[in-house]
Amino acid sequence: MAVTTYSGAEQYNFDIVKKFSVMALVWAVVGMFVGVYIASELAWPFLNFDSPYFSFGRFRPVHTSAVIFGFGGSALFATSYYVVQRTCQTRLISDGMASFTFWGWQTVIVLAALSYVSGYSQGREYAEMEWPIDILIEVVWVTYLILFVGTIMRRKQPHIYVANWFYLSFILATALLHTFNNLSMPVDLFSMKSYSLFSGTQDAMTQWWYGHNAVGFFLTAAFLGMMYYFVPKQAGRPIYSYRLSIVHFWALSFMYMWVGGHHLHWTALPDWTSSLAAAFSILLLMPSWGGMINGIMTLSGAWDKLRTDPVMRFMIVALSFYGMSTFEGPMMSLKEVNALSHYTDWTVGHVHSGALGWVAMISFGSLYHMMPKLWDTKIYSQKLVEWHFWLATIGIVLYIVAMWISGITQGLMWRAFDEFGNLQYSFAESVAAMMPFYAMRAIGGMFFLSGASLMAFNMFMTIRQGKRESAALEAKLAAKMAHA
Amino acid sequence: MSEQKLQSQTVQTTGHAWDGDLQEYNNPLPVWWVYTFYATVIFAIVYWTIYPSWPIGKDWIGGVSDITYVNSEGETKTHSWNTRALLLEDLNQAAAAQKPYFDKVASMSYEQIAKDPEMNGFILSSGKALFADNCAPCHQAGGQGVVGFFPNLTDDDWLYGGSFDTIHETLMGGRRGYMPTFGEVLSGQQIDQLANYVASLSGIGHDAAKAAAGGALFNSETAACFYCHSSDAKGRKDIGAPNLTDNIWLWANVPAADGDEGKIAAIRGVISNGLNKGVMPAWAGRLSPEQIKVLTVYVHELGGGQ
Repeated sequence: MAVTTYSGAEQYNFDIVKKFSVMALVWAVVGMFVGVYIASELAWPFLNFDSPYFSFGRFRPVHTSAVIFGFGGSALFATSYYVVQRTCQTRLISDGMASFTFWGWQTVIVLAALSYVSGYSQGREYAEMEWPIDILIEVVWVTYLILFVGTIMRRKQPHIYVANWFYLSFILATALLHTFNNLSMPVDLFSMKSYSLFSGTQDAMTQWWYGHNAVGFFLTAAFLGMMYYFVPKQAGRPIYSYRLSIVHFWALSFMYMWVGGHHLHWTALPDWTSSLAAAFSILLLMPSWGGMINGIMTLSGAWDKLRTDPVMRFMIVALSFYGMSTFEGPMMSLKEVNALSHYTDWTVGHVHSGALGWVAMISFGSLYHMMPKLWDTKIYSQKLVEWHFWLATIGIVLYIVAMWISGITQGLMWRAFDEFGNLQYSFAESVAAMMPFYAMRAIGGMFFLSGASLMAFNMFMTIRQGKRESAALEAKLAAKMAHA
Repeated sequence: MSEQKLQSQTVQTTGHAWDGDLQEYNNPLPVWWVYTFYATVIFAIVYWTIYPSWPIGKDWIGGVSDITYVNSEGETKTHSWNTRALLLEDLNQAAAAQKPYFDKVASMSYEQIAKDPEMNGFILSSGKALFADNCAPCHQAGGQGVVGFFPNLTDDDWLYGGSFDTIHETLMGGRRGYMPTFGEVLSGQQIDQLANYVASLSGIGHDAAKAAAGGALFNSETAACFYCHSSDAKGRKDIGAPNLTDNIWLWANVPAADGDEGKIAAIRGVISNGLNKGVMPAWAGRLSPEQIKVLTVYVHELGGGQ
């Protein structure tokens, strides 16, 4: 690959990228471990140990925050800082601000986890952090925005590379979503507890406007940014279509904002709001697929790489799962399908086909590409990458299949009437019927977690190897200098 | 694919390059992508036409799909498609399917219901659903209860009587199980003797001498157990005092205790500490008279009532 490696810390701030990459892996392992633990609690409830500190309700947001904001967030900070510097050919405008986003963001994740375990939660999905943590997020995020925009403004290239548009839309949208969804009134200045400014249906709508756009901009647009840099880089080929990237970028950004209401079908939300959202979800299908097409078609002509390059395989599987879950999502948003799928494990399966299949896989692929370059070395073991790939892929398939079966079973059991007009099953019976699938899901999660742990080990060894190599090089240089 | 490949080779890049080798082709939008997008636009318009969709001022477009339903006042109404009316319709349909059976339940005697095969089918279905929603949290889905907390309804031991009428009375008014604390009234030795006596009644290994002393104590004014449990220890259904001779245990978790000594210790615990937790709520007013009648027959059948 004809990549010009710019050496020297002067040109780019790679230190911040390194820090975030390492933390991405740390949070991946921690967050996925908690995920496997709570999945096991559902299958084997004794794991609650009758303690509130171990209960599903408190661990669940620990899991989601650690994987989405800890792992996903750190991977996004790392890759966005890497990509924006390299494609703008300029250094981040401030090392201090970059460093602040790192320590601030890590503090957010740690505080969030501690507060959930102690029982503090706003009760808003994916925004459970209470108000003091929300304020810290706000400050970190605005710093991130200034840093990113400032760096783009100082670019040495006339054009802004497509990956940066996606990253920027993610940063902007997240700032907007975070601010409005978390408007709340603290009980008092020294209390962690606060109450939302919204109530009833408005509260639900605000939450799902946030919730779905967190999926849209945090988990989709941002990772598309990642894809737009790392897929062509790893494949060594140009992006398939600039035109497609523009059209689907704007279509995606416009459509996503409308669809949150589809989470509230069959609720107190006015019917027009949710059917409006459902139709926008269908309209979103092709704009979403634009990214998949651009990624996959970029690879065409380099298909042979899939045989030899496991990193490339992570990326192509990520794109495939992206395509699959962005097809499944619009289908589930239709009223009739939603009547069956809502409140069931199908939703959980759908989220994980996106989160494990797309978000985690594209991040793994990108980190495998980027981390050896950061430490100026090669991947410690290609064999382990290979193992990681298969463990992750099998884990996802086990997870999704288990949730499809259990979700559809639940949906059918809940709505079954007998000939006397009575419900055929009690809720407890439907819970009992889920047991084998909960066990299967937990096992799928264990596969995925073991893959991520292998990666963490592999990257740890890669970093060590990189450090040794550069130390050896420096020693050699010093010896030469001494001779001269 | 080969055509696509050919295309991308002839198509020019945009002429920009980033980070060394990052470039973009400028392929046209895939035709199938564009047409599928148009198809989704048509789908959206049709969907918006069928269902309520765009808001206009304080109103909204109702959509061409109508729904006719009977509201809570019993009036038939037609409204543009909405989930509330749909739910009412679903509930009305289920209620209509159930109504002839509930009417029969109201007019038939317990014995008639129990003998009628068709009504038996209804009781099994409706009773199961009512039981699952209202009773199962304590008595468990199958009615087997939890030793130490909630009575088993599937055995033939009835604390307050297993006739239709007493089960009905239990459901309507609820029950409150109570046994006084003896820990401070009797000595440890006396409690141990009583426990051995109670164990002996159910054929659990015991100390014969202690049991004999316990038996005397049982029927004495000192302990006065016989007031409630009666002198033959078979209990009194009128006050819900359990039969102590059938080896069926509700409060003392004898089945789970290890060895005879453990079982006797469990009995000692109940005698010492008494009980004040056997509360069953009253269902009159929460369930309709027909529903309570259904549950009466259902529970009667669970335990092969008396």
